Amino acid sequence: MLRFIGLRLLQAIPVLFTVITATFFLIRQAPGGPFDAEKPVIPAVKRALEAKYNLDLPMWQQYTNYLGDLLRGDMGPSFKYPGWAVHDLIISGLPATAELAFYALMVAIVIGVLAGVSAALKPNTARDYVPMSLAMIGICMPTFLLGPLLVLIFGFWLDWLPISGWGDLPGDKILPSFTLGAAYAAYVARLTRGGMLEIMSQDYIRTARAKGLPEHIVVIKHALRGGLIPTIAFLGPAFAGLLAGSFVVETIFQIPGLGRFYVQAAFNRDYTMILGTTIFLSTLIIVFNLLSDLLATWMNPKLRHQMSHRSGGQS
Amino acid sequence: MSQAALMEAEQGTSLWADAWVRLKKNKLAVFGMSVVGFFVVVAILTPWLAPYAYEAQDLELGATPPSAAHWLGTDIFGRDLLTRIMYGGRVSLAVGIIATSVALVIGVAWGTVAGYVGGRTDAVMMRIVDALYALPFIIFIILLMVVFGRSMLLLFLAIGAVEWLTMARIVRGQVLTIRSQEFIEAARSMGLSTPHIMLRHVVPNSLGPIIVYATLTVPQVMLLEAFLSFLGLGIQPPQSSWGLLISYGAETMEDYPWLLIFPGLALSITLFALNFMGDGLRDALDPKASKD
Repeated sequence: MLRFIGLRLLQAIPVLFTVITATFFLIRQAPGGPFDAEKPVIPAVKRALEAKYNLDLPMWQQYTNYLGDLLRGDMGPSFKYPGWAVHDLIISGLPATAELAFYALMVAIVIGVLAGVSAALKPNTARDYVPMSLAMIGICMPTFLLGPLLVLIFGFWLDWLPISGWGDLPGDKILPSFTLGAAYAAYVARLTRGGMLEIMSQDYIRTARAKGLPEHIVVIKHALRGGLIPTIAFLGPAFAGLLAGSFVVETIFQIPGLGRFYVQAAFNRDYTMILGTTIFLSTLIIVFNLLSDLLATWMNPKLRHQMSHRSGGQS
Repeated sequence: MSQAALMEAEQGTSLWADAWVRLKKNKLAVFGMSVVGFFVVVAILTPWLAPYAYEAQDLELGATPPSAAHWLGTDIFGRDLLTRIMYGGRVSLAVGIIATSVALVIGVAWGTVAGYVGGRTDAVMMRIVDALYALPFIIFIILLMVVFGRSMLLLFLAIGAVEWLTMARIVRGQVLTIRSQEFIEAARSMGLSTPHIMLRHVVPNSLGPIIVYATLTVPQVMLLEAFLSFLGLGIQPPQSSWGLLISYGAETMEDYPWLLIFPGLALSITLFALNFMGDGLRDALDPKASKD
């Protein structure tokens, strides 16, 4: 198992390196530098600015400098917000984004698993069709449409919940969390239903029932563990989508998080900010993929057995 | 045995005829196909069907709710919303179809070569696909749009370049089962060249899963385009797309909710219909594949 973890960690390093290198060189290809504002800067001033940020050095030297700084955890200064370091900006945006992602994940898991299990226990009845139709709607309703619609209904028409902000007014976290989580709740419900349906027809479930165990113990102790494996394997890749969704949700609800910074940096051509945020988000995504992989492996007894008895190599 | 029965037995039913029968029984899929067909026809005929010219505006009129003159209302510039949705739909559907085609071409070529040639080539090619899977693509597409300006062509290419990975995997899996069958061996023993065998024998026989996956890719791609346009990183004015219209609608929804609701409906209904159509095609063409 340890070997498996180590191997997967080693595989993540070249991916991360590729991301850093590709991002670095891509961003330098962008037309229009960070100092090409609406008001043209005097050439001498522009040159001085570029010298200050080492933009006048040859490309490879800028690159190696950046890699060196990165190893020390320094992502350089923000070009657009003088006096701010990129990692400070990232750290200031992280709490809101992390909290939002966490609540959204909770929404997705709680609603999705409940709906999926309940549908799988009574397949082809109303308890199956109703939540699964809702799930289909959830999948076809993009975040950037659901968000404004929820704001319109619960914010403007019913006037029940605040329409923007994060932690300023009571209840202002409800709409963003639900908006971001809804689509994933739908996917989780479908996956959980599929996983549970397959497990419930297995022999060991029949054995558990034959032992005379009450149905809820059979479901919770025996079936869920296997039935949730597809769901858990989905959560890692879903995390990348969750981050992308948070760009939208943070924009709609004006939440001062990482996603909004990223989109703004993209508009402002804030090189170092885009670079830093891309690297940071990519690392997060890679780590999450790894975690969900490991968790799914650990939960599946067959795979777990393989991992501890096989000596790495091709996986 | 009568002559007629013998004829029938000889002809049998092709995979396609068989699939068509199954597809016709699936009401949701037929519904999805009709809706998609309707939207495609409307998109093609938009220049003749649209009630107003694309550039037409009436600043004095401003934003009005749906009325007899403007079925879906007008926006703050007095532009007819139905016209804008019809023209926007052209762009959204075009992105969906073109980007999917890009993904299709790359994915099928990559998967066929990897699967048919096999051995070390296969291992290297599929490792590359695995590595690309691990990259955070949504962030990368945003980056591409920032760096190379927000041109529509680039949007097609960027999205297509991302979506080919799954296609390559599916095609390779399909090719692996096909290449060991007798008719391929026969083709080889007849001295046909490898590219010829791949194009004329291998690809046509893996068409089922390819079509199914392509149909399911179109809604994903349209969603991606709308997402980027919503953030202001996709389609740029004066061009319009459903994602862009939703983004404008969201800005003024408190006063003019129809500007949000109708483009939203257009996008959701299309995505719905495409997904039903894809699911139906999968059940019809690939009965073994399970529904999740």
